[in-house]
Amino acid sequence: MRDAYLIGAGQSDYGSFPGESYRSLFRTAFENACDSVPAGIESEDVDEAIVGTLGVGGRQLGLPGPAVTEHVGLHGIPVTRVENACAASGYSVRQGVQAIRSGMADVVLASGVEIMTDVSGDAVRYWLGVSGETEWERLSGTTFAGVYAQMASRHMQEYGTTREQLSHVAVKNHENGAKNPHAQLGFECSLEDAMGAPTVADPLNLYHCCPTTDGAACVLLASEDVVENYTDDPIRVAGVGAGSDRVGLFQRDTYTAVPASQYAADRAYEMAGYGPDDLDFAEVHDCFAIAELMAYSDLGLCEPEEAGEFVASGTTKRDGEMPVNTSGGLKSKGHPIGATGAGQVVEAFKQLSGQAGERQLDDPQIGLTHNVGGSGGAAVVHVFERGLGGDAA
Amino acid sequence: MSDDGIHAVGAYAPGLRVAAEEFAEAWGSFEAAGIETKAVPEADEDALTMGWEAARRALAAGDVDVADVDWLGFATTNPPMAEDDPTVRLGSFLGVADDVTRQTFTGSTRAGTRALFAAMDADTDGLALVVAADCPRGEPSDAHEHAAGAGAAAVLVGPDAPAPVTDRAEYAEPYPGTRFRRAGRGEVEGIEVTSYDREAFRETLAGAVDAVDAPDDPDAAAVQAPDGGLPYRAAGAMGLDNGTIHTCATVQDLGDTGAASVPLSLATALADGTETVLGVGYGSGGGADAFVVEAGESVPADLALDGGTDLTYAEYLRRRGDVTSGEPNGGAAYISVPTWKRSIPQRHRLVAGRCPECGSLAFPPEGACPDCRSLVEFEPVELPDTGEVEAVTAVSRGGEPPEFAVQQQKSGEYGVAIAAFEADGESVSMPLQVVGAETSPDVGDPVATVVRRIYTQEGVIRYGRKARVEDGA
Repeated sequence: MRDAYLIGAGQSDYGSFPGESYRSLFRTAFENACDSVPAGIESEDVDEAIVGTLGVGGRQLGLPGPAVTEHVGLHGIPVTRVENACAASGYSVRQGVQAIRSGMADVVLASGVEIMTDVSGDAVRYWLGVSGETEWERLSGTTFAGVYAQMASRHMQEYGTTREQLSHVAVKNHENGAKNPHAQLGFECSLEDAMGAPTVADPLNLYHCCPTTDGAACVLLASEDVVENYTDDPIRVAGVGAGSDRVGLFQRDTYTAVPASQYAADRAYEMAGYGPDDLDFAEVHDCFAIAELMAYSDLGLCEPEEAGEFVASGTTKRDGEMPVNTSGGLKSKGHPIGATGAGQVVEAFKQLSGQAGERQLDDPQIGLTHNVGGSGGAAVVHVFERGLGGDAA
Repeated sequence: MSDDGIHAVGAYAPGLRVAAEEFAEAWGSFEAAGIETKAVPEADEDALTMGWEAARRALAAGDVDVADVDWLGFATTNPPMAEDDPTVRLGSFLGVADDVTRQTFTGSTRAGTRALFAAMDADTDGLALVVAADCPRGEPSDAHEHAAGAGAAAVLVGPDAPAPVTDRAEYAEPYPGTRFRRAGRGEVEGIEVTSYDREAFRETLAGAVDAVDAPDDPDAAAVQAPDGGLPYRAAGAMGLDNGTIHTCATVQDLGDTGAASVPLSLATALADGTETVLGVGYGSGGGADAFVVEAGESVPADLALDGGTDLTYAEYLRRRGDVTSGEPNGGAAYISVPTWKRSIPQRHRLVAGRCPECGSLAFPPEGACPDCRSLVEFEPVELPDTGEVEAVTAVSRGGEPPEFAVQQQKSGEYGVAIAAFEADGESVSMPLQVVGAETSPDVGDPVATVVRRIYTQEGVIRYGRKARVEDGA
């Protein structure tokens, strides 16, 4: 099967932008992605596009794909909208890889967009709950903050994880986000600040929760047949894995792991021929602090009982052994639901192409992105590596 | 039918209490004589949920299989809906058979004794379950509101009873305006002519008592108590002394419990082992019922009338919804009524499913088996009332879905647990809101389920199970 390569990626700023529309944010991300392609790219080169979005607020629920691609001049091409909650655009990248590997396309735009901050707090809480299990979980009075808090309660009880360890996730990710010019909450926070925040859903406080965000992200993928037209420094999509699980937490076999992430990671590692020890960095889905700790163990970076100490010890800081969320993660960079997965790939592209600015790691070769939908109903993992790799290497 | 009578009693009052002093501090005076504290329904409680609480206690106390109930009566002046038969859902909460006779009694505080009389008249082979529950309201400054309490009592009636009802009678005399509620209104009011009100109460009660073959000196008298003063003002006319009324009175602790007033006092008397009880119910308009219970043996009873949480007057106004906003913008989880109807056995009675292939439990029992993944038709399994907390959170303001925003404005932070329930060695889990004084149980704590309002959509109140931390947890 043909290999797929990451030839460019870009995002809009993440934040709250009353002056922007979902189309204008998408345009910014698209232009940034095109500008990042070393040898340049023309709109007519793009064979196909995939757009991830949940449609928060109810804007353009039908046909949001062509609504944004036609806006940026991608005329007449096949466009598919992907909705997998917060994993929408992680899955759109996966679908782009599939299109290239199948031979049906040579250049694909995989993208995501979301506007979340132009509706009232009550309305956004409505939308934050639509990807949970509606009939039972939501009617017990929870949105995702409550569901992840239940996971945290169980993690604390089973593994002795502490609130302070959870707060270390915020401190680390804000430290990274402060060096990311696109970050929504690009400021550092102290452990004291992180621990003293008001409770949202016990044991989670405000600093254990990511913000709501407007933003867009675009990823350009090319087949091995055409990749040399666009770059001399290709980044190979070495592994892709995805998995699903019951939508409601109460229906799952465990509350202290996200099995869909484990399925996705196993498949991605298997395809890539790499394991967690081979990674130089990872962008993981830290919608809540507990989600980052569970991601560590679901991705095989440590055992579940070690997850709290894994962050508190500094292992996952930028200068640690296993840097996680150098972009600032969902916590600091922001979480525009439909754009998040593609946005993680933007960070992977920047790190692997040496364009991560102040937060650049020292010559990373292999990186992973991990994107979760809802509280774990869907997950998708990508492994990227510098170079042609694979059979071409 | 001389041995027809009472087999068991149950009673319930919300654990929330507000003291007369709170009103006195807020208003300068408290207008309801003889009431020290009163019970306050939680934001998700109403006459139907309180009635279920009392009914399940009566059934448990009497060790009665709900299949033996073939008549169900529900009495209240405050049905949750002005039109919509509450006995259908009450019967579903309890699991009574589809074909039992159901009757609703309302429109007067006398509804509780009316229901008891109707149960006595019902020609049933099994047991009749009489459930009286009430939570009257008035305008904030009104004496009726100061008195308004909450509570429920349930009485199992049938032949060969340990406590036969030996006589009963009724009496009516028109006294318009003594206490009424206008069509379409939620608050009771009165013309407030004190002497007229007292005369109406005294004359109708005495008329009914005169017509029964009452003992000269009953051990207790369960007398309608619109407040804590009126029953004693009528004591002389009924030939009773104050102590006989006071011994089983609940009004001083629970407030005016409307249609549940006499049943609550009757349950209290029988639970105390009282032998001879005179019951006297009053409904404005005015009419009265009187009956005599001669308990030859002790009557099984399960009463849950203790208070748990004291409210300030401001908290009381929040619970009543007087100072909270309406439904927020943003929308609620949309679950169509037909979809909800399909899940009613699960909502009302925790009916799970057993996989015929592998024996695992599923909740809700639909789709593929969660264990062997076979697409099967599950066999119904009713789960026990108690489970164990597996994971838990307490949702603060801002963490709730918009459809729970008003509940949170009224009651504050609430807990949400995932709890596991076991049946025949298999376990199944479900998410449940945690109600009661302790809303943040620990993982591993036992919880019992209760019926409460979940939410209202399209004007339809959706009832389902929530969890309450078990005593001793």
